[in-house]
Amino acid sequence: MEDVVMESDSVEMSGPAPEQRVADAWEAVTAALMSPGCSVVDRSLSDSLALLCGQGLGRLLGGWLLETLQTRLSSSVVPEFWSGLKQPENELEERGRAWVLLSAFRTLLDRLEPFLGGLQKLGSWQDEGRGLSLCGPGPGGLQDRAFTIIRALLLFSPSPVLQERVLEFYSRTFSVYMHQEGQAEDGAELQDGPERGVCPGCGVPTQQCWCKEALEQLQDLSHILSRLQLLEWVSSEAVTSILHKLIEQRMEQHCRGEYERSFLLEFQEWLELVLGWLSKVFASEVDRDGPVPAPGAPGAPGAPGAPGAPGAPGAPGIQPGSSVLKQWRCHMHQFFCRIYVNMRIEELFSIIRDFPESKAAIEDLKFCLERTNQRQQLLTSLKSAFESRLLHPGVHTSDILTVYISAIKALRELDPSMVILQVACQPIRKYLRTREDTVRQIVAGLTGDAEGCTDLASELSRGDPVTLEMQDSDEEGNDPEDWSPDPTDAVPDKLGSKRRSSDIISLLVSIYGSKDIFIDEYRAVLADRLLHQLNYNTAREIRNVELLKLRFGESHMHYCEVMLKDMADSRRINSNIREEESRLSEEEQPPLSLSSIILSSEFWPPLKEEKLELPPLVCQAMEAYTHRYEKLKAMRTLSWKPHLGSVTLDLELEDRTLTNLTVSPIHAAIILHFQEKSSWTLEELSVKLGAPKELLHRKLALWQQHGVLREEGGGGGGGGGRYYVVETGSSKEKMDRGVMLIDSDEERDSNTTTQSEQREEKLQLFWAYIQAMLTNLDSMTLDRIHSMLRMFVATGPVVTEMDVNELEAFLQRKVREHQLMISGGVYRLPKAN
Amino acid sequence: MKVKIRQWNGVASWLWVANDENCGICRMPFNGCCPDCKVPGDDCPLVWGQCSHCFHMHCILKWLNSQQVQQQCPMCRQEWKFKE
Repeated sequence: MEDVVMESDSVEMSGPAPEQRVADAWEAVTAALMSPGCSVVDRSLSDSLALLCGQGLGRLLGGWLLETLQTRLSSSVVPEFWSGLKQPENELEERGRAWVLLSAFRTLLDRLEPFLGGLQKLGSWQDEGRGLSLCGPGPGGLQDRAFTIIRALLLFSPSPVLQERVLEFYSRTFSVYMHQEGQAEDGAELQDGPERGVCPGCGVPTQQCWCKEALEQLQDLSHILSRLQLLEWVSSEAVTSILHKLIEQRMEQHCRGEYERSFLLEFQEWLELVLGWLSKVFASEVDRDGPVPAPGAPGAPGAPGAPGAPGAPGAPGIQPGSSVLKQWRCHMHQFFCRIYVNMRIEELFSIIRDFPESKAAIEDLKFCLERTNQRQQLLTSLKSAFESRLLHPGVHTSDILTVYISAIKALRELDPSMVILQVACQPIRKYLRTREDTVRQIVAGLTGDAEGCTDLASELSRGDPVTLEMQDSDEEGNDPEDWSPDPTDAVPDKLGSKRRSSDIISLLVSIYGSKDIFIDEYRAVLADRLLHQLNYNTAREIRNVELLKLRFGESHMHYCEVMLKDMADSRRINSNIREEESRLSEEEQPPLSLSSIILSSEFWPPLKEEKLELPPLVCQAMEAYTHRYEKLKAMRTLSWKPHLGSVTLDLELEDRTLTNLTVSPIHAAIILHFQEKSSWTLEELSVKLGAPKELLHRKLALWQQHGVLREEGGGGGGGGGRYYVVETGSSKEKMDRGVMLIDSDEERDSNTTTQSEQREEKLQLFWAYIQAMLTNLDSMTLDRIHSMLRMFVATGPVVTEMDVNELEAFLQRKVREHQLMISGGVYRLPKAN
Repeated sequence: MKVKIRQWNGVASWLWVANDENCGICRMPFNGCCPDCKVPGDDCPLVWGQCSHCFHMHCILKWLNSQQVQQQCPMCRQEWKFKE
């Protein structure tokens, strides 16, 4: 810039007479450029201009203008603007501050007006062909440069005051606008503040309301700013932060913790309303070539900036401003989505917990998540939420399962590709694997036994035709056209791109990787239920087994079917035997009404073995029963499990009777002995019943609880005590019962052996194989043993998969017990001697 | 005190009266069933030969059908005769 001026100076200095004319012409033209009213038509002016152009000085005009602008700006205009802005310090109220802001800009515009006029003229001269290149390169080049200079000098070191003021001003106009537009709807709700008589728009007592003024000022300011092309630079930041803040605020107020309603539409409408305000801020951009609409038309709420028609007032059709608005609309949308997603990600755990009710929130989140790139964030946050809130020892397994089930339901809604589900729930699955009662809980859920967890049962009865077998298979019946690639954050696993399962039951069952363990557990549960049942009524179990067959396949449920068939057969045999008995004469009638459940032992889970000698009366009845059975089924006999089953009996004491007590056989056996002799020591009973004393002590508690027996001496010290029948129940005895309840909480015995016991037995079976292998082959590695076992022992229902680690642990134990030797990774049997 | 038992529901498991645990042909337990059957007991009975060996009926029938020349007990190679 400097050298241009030098050049022009040197030209002016260089000649005598004609130079004088040139200098005059220069003088005239520059004066005309700067003076506002001067017209181009002026004869002498155009002459001067022609002269300058003739001398090749025309193009210097632009440079001169810019230079002058720059000098003026830095020397007076900019300092004046800033001091004007700061001048009132803190004394003024908001209204005054708004006025100061506006007037500062007004002054700025006044000061710069001559230059803008000059630029305009220069432009129009050029257009009229009076000078060839008055404005330098390009049509708008000079203007652009001028505005750049203004921006640069003005905003080179902007004081924070400007930002503050602008922000304040815009916030105010925003609330005024929103109040007017949304009258009843949310203006009231948002701003209905502490005291009455305050204008909700501008926040001052109603008499001093300056809402209208504020809107007019807004109009004015927008005009000035756009005239100076400062709109973007001054307002964008303020507008952005206002929008951000307001959306966030509104979201906090309306959406947080509220999952049952969709907010998308509501917000859409609200955003359109906001857009109306934006169209005011950027009004002059919008209406640059249209007439200015009546500012802030009061009394016509909602009419001008009706939602869905951004920038509608004034000029329809394609305008430069509408693209600005469009841009802002996108912006706002993006804001909204991001803020919404952020909030929901934070709350996702609760949303999942509430799932079927929170479906609306999930759908909203899905919509927004597709527009923001925040899946990763969601995954990390959800995972850690699971870990911190769910997966710790304080949470009951059934609760974990419940949440997991809702998570499956919710996340398959959120992400049909199931990737989020798969990744986010990995920790849950891993954790569940470490809980011992997981399988039992799942099975209980499946059979509808679990309290509060009915999801699984209903899921099961939904009877999806998709069996587990089908999902294992390679070919999917899907249309290849429907295929879509996995999202990029999918975990590459052995399933590859195959569809991830969304079926709740198969997901749960696959926690352990094998369904055998579930089927075994179910079998145990089923056995328990059947054995505790008295009436052979198996309708519910049959239904469950049928449903499970659909899922797990016929072959896996075969054992359960046989068990159910045993129940039916038992009933038939019982009625057969009954009938036979009824044909007997009076005195031959059996003294005891005995019925039996007859099991196919190979198909039932291993039952607990307990020793128990039943009283002779019962034994005889059983013998008689066996006898009849043998007659009925040739070459077959019965082996009784004396400790299993149930007994219904009445007790007649001197002053009272207890009727219809249902107890276990051991309880019945105990009380039968007391019939013969009214006092027994624990020792004697133990000999008589062939059962350990600890067990008897525990079982006796039931009768003590009923107030039938009492213990004297020994004081529970184990064995020393003697038990007596309480023939006359005193009230004191009744009081004691409460106390007895405490230490007699009898565990509800499961008739089946526990899993770990079964496991142990299984390993013992393996041990026989291992010994045989090592005898023949001398020495083997761990892997070899493992694969051999898999080959030979992999039959039968009891053999679940055993992994190498388990086998190794087992072998290590055998080594410690000196039944095995290991050297160099090779196992061998110790030498016989 | 008098105890009156109304009903005693016992539990028992049935088993074949045989001199062995497993079928000598299919090596499955007698109390289970042969590989072709699903349900034990009446549906998959045992049969005894005069040599006193016994098998799942289905197993021995299959064996006898596969023997062209002479029908022998697979355990003791005596001629197979059903015990009556």
